Amino acid sequence: MATTQHVIIGNGIAGISAAEVLRAGDPDSAITIIGDESETPYCRPMISLVLEGALGPERLPIRGTDYYQQFGITPVLGRRVTAVDTSRREVHINGARPVIYDKLLIASGADPRPVKAEGRDLDNIFYLRHQAHVRGMLAVMPDARKALVLGGGLVGFKAAYGLLRRGIQVTMLIRSGYPLSMQADAEAGRMVLTELRAHGLEVRVGAEVTAFEGGPAVRAAVLSDGSRLACDLVVIGKGVLPSLAFVRRDQIAVDLGIVVDRHMRTTAPDVYAAGDVAEGMDLARGTRWVNAIWPEAVAQGRLAGTNMAGREVAGEGSLGRNVIRIFGLDIMTGGIVDPPADDDGFTVVSALDPRRRTYRKLVFQKNRLVGMVMVNAIEQGGVLLGLIQSRMPVRLPAETLLANGFNYKQLLME
Amino acid sequence: MKQVVVHPERCVGCLQCMLACATAHSRSRTLPEAVLESPRPRPRVHVGVGCFDEGFPNRCRHCDPAPCMLACLPGAIYRDAQTNTVLIDTDRCINCASCAMVCPFGVLRYHPDVLAPPDKTVAVKCDNCIARQQKGQIPACVEACRTGALTFEPLDGAMRRKTDAVSRTVSAGRREVPPPAGYALLTTIKHEQVRLRSH
Ligand SMILES: Cc1cc2nc3c(=O)[nH]c(=O)nc-3n(C[C@H](O)[C@H](O)[C@H](O)COP(=O)(O)OP(=O)(O)OC[C@H]3O[C@@H](n4cnc5c(N)ncnc54)[C@H](O)[C@@H]3O)c2cc1C
Ligand code: SF4
Ligand code: SF4
Repeated sequence: MATTQHVIIGNGIAGISAAEVLRAGDPDSAITIIGDESETPYCRPMISLVLEGALGPERLPIRGTDYYQQFGITPVLGRRVTAVDTSRREVHINGARPVIYDKLLIASGADPRPVKAEGRDLDNIFYLRHQAHVRGMLAVMPDARKALVLGGGLVGFKAAYGLLRRGIQVTMLIRSGYPLSMQADAEAGRMVLTELRAHGLEVRVGAEVTAFEGGPAVRAAVLSDGSRLACDLVVIGKGVLPSLAFVRRDQIAVDLGIVVDRHMRTTAPDVYAAGDVAEGMDLARGTRWVNAIWPEAVAQGRLAGTNMAGREVAGEGSLGRNVIRIFGLDIMTGGIVDPPADDDGFTVVSALDPRRRTYRKLVFQKNRLVGMVMVNAIEQGGVLLGLIQSRMPVRLPAETLLANGFNYKQLLME
Repeated sequence: MKQVVVHPERCVGCLQCMLACATAHSRSRTLPEAVLESPRPRPRVHVGVGCFDEGFPNRCRHCDPAPCMLACLPGAIYRDAQTNTVLIDTDRCINCASCAMVCPFGVLRYHPDVLAPPDKTVAVKCDNCIARQQKGQIPACVEACRTGALTFEPLDGAMRRKTDAVSRTVSAGRREVPPPAGYALLTTIKHEQVRLRSH
């Protein structure tokens, strides 16, 4: 029998996690990874620490320089996949011959959500997704005085924090009323806003950029309210979208992300998807959802690799979770943090302690915990998130879970 | 391989394990000196209070696969195969708290530590007293526990004893398994206290 040809699109954490379990589970197979980033596999979330200056770029790699050799993987790096044809089992690559697969994993991650604004092509307007983006920013940073960050999501937020720590004046522009609106609720968002402003960040809410001015580098931004804002460095951090331009929608079902089942299988035979590009069942919501976070990319990559190696294992689903530390605040959130106010199927309890600067909020659906927000004293957050993941009915009074002394043992004594 | 086994029903909440743990992870390794040290030595085992005020020594389970190990962004968490211990490389740790986000037991803490680079806040949790084990000593919490709530033994042995204890309670000539002396009383008192308080 011919060697099984495994092909993986994307050398991010989902792709390499899959390759590693695939190599262990199917030692004799051939594995090809196609990725447009040619660096040694690295930790994407840590690029903001390089921007901030907390770490040097040499700290980013999370595998050895001989990684591909060590795992017997054929790397095709620095090239983009332009199309996948599942009827011919072909992966088309920019400037190279098509690769034929027996089993294919799409782990192409996500791309920053673009902004539509005049003058978008001016110099010194960046995304923050790849190592190369940070290199670009660092190169122009010595001359930067005034930065503008678009978007108050996780990445916009980390960009603003990083630039601020570099001593650059930063204005953050957010469309919604408070930062981290996708991750946190209004109360936590307000605490974050206060903290950031206290440290010199300027935040403008409810505004958007309509045009950039300057040349060749950006000099100013024109806002939707007609005002102009001088800036010489711009970071676009308005969230991400699954990276799937090469996917034919008549061959592979796509919603927001590539639709996967509990085995990370797409609707096309022998094609799997994992990580930021995949859309599987969400444990808190009970519907499909793209949970674009690192731990899920690892878990989904491993699950895909296990199944591709021929061991049929089903996953339970994913849970959106985040933990962020900024200045004096730690924020941990997960699941449904802001249930629709008109839906009485949810019960929300919360506790704000201004003296200890803590805030906790729990969202229940019947007797199941489906969401949580924690500001400071986050050590027991994993216990609560574990409760959401296990979907176990909670019989303890909600106040017990909210209390400062809450710990794992109390779950055992129900 | 010997492991620390927790018998929660025997814990009286005396906090001796916490003291011993903090001392074992101090510069001086003696209690009187440890209390004066900076950074302040802190325990890796955390006695929490249950719903009936009973104690519970909560420590890292050294899970396999370990959620924290898979979620750690820089890959700072690894396993020592010889002692089956999940360890944190404090040089690599970036204090992101991703591990706390995924640990279902809530055993991680973040603070400067004598075993970490100076003045760096890092993730800290039980290391099975790997340094003591290398010197032939048993983990400090087990040594300190006077009630047998913490033991250091091969896991299958501990499981066999538990299975035996359970089967004795269900077998024909069933006799009460004598609860460890005093615990039944203590538990009754605590339950009663909670009942009185909630009235
Ligand atoms: C600044 C920043 C901070 C973050 N912080 C956190 C955090 O604190 N916690 C957390 O959980 N998550 C965080 N994330 C999100 C996390 O990085 C992602 O969830 C994770 O990297 C997803 O991994 P992945 O392998 O699915 O995708 P990716 O890491 O995006 O990898 C996909 C790879 O495929 C390549 N690719 C895409 N399309 C093609 C193509 N057509 N041809 C060839 N190659 C292609 C991409 O270039 C990329 O290298 C952060 C992200 C950023 C940018
Ligand atoms: S820290 Fe938590 S998740 Fe990690 S091994 Fe210990 S108990 Fe398991
Ligand atoms: S806090 Fe440290 S050990 Fe924990 S996940 Fe982050 S880097 Fe890893």
